[in-house]
Amino acid sequence: MPKNETVDELGLDEYKYDFRTEDAPVFKAKKGLSEEVVRQISAHKDEPEWMLEFRLRALEIYYSKPMPDWGGDLESLNLDEIYFYLKPQDQMERSWDDVPDSIKETFERLGIPEAERKILAGVGAQFESEMVYHSLKEEWEEQGIIFESIEDGLRKHPDLFREYFATIVPPADNKFAALNSAVWSGGSFVYIPKGVKVDIPLQAYFRVNAEQMGQFERTLIIVEDGAEAQYIEGCTAPVYTTESFHSGVIEIVVKPKARFRYTTIQNWSNNMYNLVTQRSMVHEDASMEWVDGNLGSKLTMKYPSCFLVGERAHGEILSIAYAGDGQHQDTGGKVVHAARDTTSLIVSKSISKGTGRSSYRGLCKVYEGAIGSKSNVECDALLMNETSRTDTYPYIEIDENQSSIGHEASVSKVGEEQLFYLMSRGMSEEQAMTMIVRGFIEPIAKELPLEYAIELNRLIELEMEGSVG
Amino acid sequence: MTRTETVGGPELLAEKRQAAWEEYRSLPMPTRKSEEWRYTDLRKLDPEAFEQLIDSTGGSVGALASDDIPGAVRDVLSESATRGGTMIEIDGAVGRLELDARAAEAGVVFGPIAQVAMERPELLDRFLFSSDVAPMERKLWSLHVAALSGGYVLHVPQNVRIDDPVHVVRWLSRAGVMVSTHSLIIVERGAQVTVIDEFMSADLDGEALSLNGVEVFGGDGSLVNYLALQRFGAGVKHFSMQHANTPRDCTLNSFNVSLGADLARCDVTSHLLGPGSDSEMLALWFGGRHQHFDYHTLQHHAAPHARSDLLFKGALTDSAKSVFRGLIRVDKGAQLTDAYQTNRNLLLSDDSQATTLPSLEIAADDVKCSHGATVGQVDAHQLFYLTSRGLTRAQAERLLVFGFFGEVLARMPVDSVRERMTDAIERKIGI
Repeated sequence: MPKNETVDELGLDEYKYDFRTEDAPVFKAKKGLSEEVVRQISAHKDEPEWMLEFRLRALEIYYSKPMPDWGGDLESLNLDEIYFYLKPQDQMERSWDDVPDSIKETFERLGIPEAERKILAGVGAQFESEMVYHSLKEEWEEQGIIFESIEDGLRKHPDLFREYFATIVPPADNKFAALNSAVWSGGSFVYIPKGVKVDIPLQAYFRVNAEQMGQFERTLIIVEDGAEAQYIEGCTAPVYTTESFHSGVIEIVVKPKARFRYTTIQNWSNNMYNLVTQRSMVHEDASMEWVDGNLGSKLTMKYPSCFLVGERAHGEILSIAYAGDGQHQDTGGKVVHAARDTTSLIVSKSISKGTGRSSYRGLCKVYEGAIGSKSNVECDALLMNETSRTDTYPYIEIDENQSSIGHEASVSKVGEEQLFYLMSRGMSEEQAMTMIVRGFIEPIAKELPLEYAIELNRLIELEMEGSVG
Repeated sequence: MTRTETVGGPELLAEKRQAAWEEYRSLPMPTRKSEEWRYTDLRKLDPEAFEQLIDSTGGSVGALASDDIPGAVRDVLSESATRGGTMIEIDGAVGRLELDARAAEAGVVFGPIAQVAMERPELLDRFLFSSDVAPMERKLWSLHVAALSGGYVLHVPQNVRIDDPVHVVRWLSRAGVMVSTHSLIIVERGAQVTVIDEFMSADLDGEALSLNGVEVFGGDGSLVNYLALQRFGAGVKHFSMQHANTPRDCTLNSFNVSLGADLARCDVTSHLLGPGSDSEMLALWFGGRHQHFDYHTLQHHAAPHARSDLLFKGALTDSAKSVFRGLIRVDKGAQLTDAYQTNRNLLLSDDSQATTLPSLEIAADDVKCSHGATVGQVDAHQLFYLTSRGLTRAQAERLLVFGFFGEVLARMPVDSVRERMTDAIERKIGI
């Protein structure tokens, strides 16, 4: 670790994506939500009739459900002031060169094209409401992998799309899933054929540029028998004084013997409400991993889920949250054991600094008949200041006696003894603190694809690992 | 159910109860949509369907003939152990009350609420029904206050130590009734006492409703052990709301045992109000049949330098269900808090269900807090080992269940109660 580095210099507090590009969208829906807006979105996408009906039905469900009264404070979220649909350009491009300069500049500053050349199998980039770029390397395309925008998925693969769409997260699941179902736009459609193993990740990048913008991407991923792949999602936005809103729905089907990992590195600006539903259906002998990094946003409420429906299915949720001044990270995970011999693991680490608040909220449910299920949940929280706050709300519901479930959580501040020891070896307090914080998040940090996650690289910097000389 | 006549006491009591009645009427019955009642459905609970029992003795102590004491109660009290005080309450009416002569000499007050309300109104004015009850618990709390059948007040003056436990046995004699009892325990600075509240009935041929409120107010540097033993028979729905208030350097321990009733909801709250306060909260339950146990606990750290340690263990068989919803809340400024919370569940049958929600809300940074929860069955390796040594499977299982409870039972402060509870669990396992 460089000599003079401090916790603040780790850069966790600094927001480096606060730049915006002047850009005239080709279409901007009226502010606020209405049936008209939903019809406009559907018309712009030239959708089949059933999708419009689906959207309108979802809108009704959205209106009929009350706002959640748990979790974070949603009172200052005014949906009437949000633009629900903003179309940045007419068509999606397959080459970076064709992407309009102003948009391209944004993604270049974020380092996406460079990363694509080096280490990604495919990249999707979403700007405001639409995917502006989607490409997949030829070698993978040849093997039958589909990696398209969700709109193209619906257009080009209607049967496959309709078979799975909204089956994992139905619109009635929760208020924000209903909202997303009504106004969804953008996101990825991914299909990994039987037995195909992709050893480098696919990445989607979500950028909100405009003020008072609502982004509602929808991603559907189908991983066939014995296939293996991973997917990374990154998110940033510039800082405005008004609130923006992001509410995605991610649906993943992991077929027998398949393996899939979904990584999110969320670094929205501190004026973003981030309410996301992420769920996977995991079949027999399959394995699903969520790696969830929540660093940005004003309020995040996000609980990636694994429904273990096949025998011996395995689910893992590794979650790290950082809540700085004024931030509330209400995150966690859900595992539902609905078949025999299923196993799951949730590891959650959170850091609250300044007036930040991080909450772990999780569910472990074992249905009767899920004999031999095993689950373990570990949550650790670190509090940096007197004004920081942390909560833990694990729900554990067990209907099957032949199962083994454990939950452990601890909350602490940076250990005086550790601090004293490091300082006695010549470090300043700040340096010692930094080292302890790094040690705390290391078990999860090492699971994050540090080589790939550009913004995370900048945030925690690569020296997070191996810096103790 | 509209009667709120006092149990014979002065206006003070009547006023508090009238206010509670109005609060009760103004509040909706909690539904399963609220987190606090998510696992216990109150829709089928209709208090008006029960005959409300009111102590007709006007607050005086009845003269219960020895022959009229139910056999089960007599068995409990015939223990050779000495007692600092004894009270028998039948259907909410105080039938017998005794206080150790030395304690009485030292100024200890022990009597029915209505009687103490007349003799020591200032005590009741300050303490009775004054605990900080959470909004979602207020519906049943206000019903409890409005429908009060009886109860007792125990006041231990400054620096007085009652060596032997004060034992209160409450008997419910029949189905179709609602009985609401209260325990008000006030322990002044430097005083010490152990109190046992024991609830009993035979198996009833219908439903009965039991409401119980407990308020313990410790003094600076005082020591209180509070034990609640719930051994109702089938048919009883029991709601217990316990509030312990611990000021500076006060140690207030609670121990809950639930073996009986069809539905037993138990809210156990420790308000750690002063620096140096300490609360050990223990509980064990053994559920069978269709029994439903719902435990809600709160360790509220409002002051720095306080410690709380909770260990709740339950075993379930048949179609029994249990819920544990525990919260450690550390207020801003409550630095140097030590708070621990552990819930362990043993499922002994295919149809038993356990739900556990150990939660933390922490707003101070210099704290040590941890919680753990497990749900599982008897360890297969241990079972195999014991059966390989010649024990039958049933014997081995029973031994392991006892080993499971042993950790809690070993911390039971009253030896005679420990033995009795061990016997009661043994009978319930029925192997």
